[in-house]
Amino acid sequence: MDFQGLHDHLKAVGAPGILEADLPREKDPEDKKDLGRAGQPFLLVDAAHIVDFLAVCREDERLAFEILADQSATDPAVDDENLWVTYELLSVRHKHRLSIKVLIPKADAKIDSAVPVYRAAQWAEREAGEMYGITFVGHPDPRNILLPDDWEGFPLRKDYEFPKEYHGISCE
Amino acid sequence: MGILEKQFEENVLTTKVDWLINWARLSSIWPMTFGLACCAIEMMAVGASHHDIDRFGAGAFRATPRQADLMIVAGTVNFKMAERIKRLYDQMPSPKYVMAMGACATGGGPYYKFGYTVVKGVDRVVPVDVYVAGCPPRPEALLEGLMLLQEKIRNSSVVRKPARMA
Repeated sequence: MDFQGLHDHLKAVGAPGILEADLPREKDPEDKKDLGRAGQPFLLVDAAHIVDFLAVCREDERLAFEILADQSATDPAVDDENLWVTYELLSVRHKHRLSIKVLIPKADAKIDSAVPVYRAAQWAEREAGEMYGITFVGHPDPRNILLPDDWEGFPLRKDYEFPKEYHGISCE
Repeated sequence: MGILEKQFEENVLTTKVDWLINWARLSSIWPMTFGLACCAIEMMAVGASHHDIDRFGAGAFRATPRQADLMIVAGTVNFKMAERIKRLYDQMPSPKYVMAMGACATGGGPYYKFGYTVVKGVDRVVPVDVYVAGCPPRPEALLEGLMLLQEKIRNSSVVRKPARMA
């Protein structure tokens, strides 16, 4: 199925939390500030329903997304009040993919863990958690995966301040 | 060798203790396997037959610090690794030498500005004897670094200098 087909099918089976489908588009020639959008189409999903939504994606016969190919997060800008959490699903059986984006507020960066549906989310959520300071509620093992355990701050946040020294090693 | 020369029968060589010990040391610098990043590929090339670091007696890469004389820090050092490097360095028997291979180990390299976990030079953790420039250095550069280290050992002395009289 192509993206439009996936979107229509998800609507038809009543997958919870679909907010909108974002498609690539050309620049508007009239509006000079409009940059258009490149890249692949994605679904914007409500953060409160993301685990149920993923469960539908996995269980439905026509969708059958067996694999969570990637899960990550993005901090779009310093003055943006949201963080993005992105999911990349892959169906080997039907040879199709789906990108999902969820917005969560920076002030309360919490989202339900996808581990009950996709166990592959464990390491990805640990990384996104330590890099962006996102709490994945219900994660079975929310330790740091790459950074040292006593690391302070979230390095991939846009407002991150670099450490001056770490365990006596100067960073200047 | 000065006054001792030709004082003995043939088959007896005379030399200085310093010269003999330095010769032994610089002819068998056993490096520790310490590949951290892409520099390790060049280090492997140096160990392979084309460049053949064994010509300098430094081809016996040891997997333990207790048998190694030289730590070639080949790659990017981050804070998590730095503590391990310090510990491994402490486990090496003296005399021990450290070579910082490539831009990352020398001064942080391309991660200097935005690498939040990269140590800006391994000399902030352990003392470095030879710096090898390059990103990564070619095998010839690493061999030159090794020859520089040999030169350094050749000019060292095992005799302790007498303490200066007050």
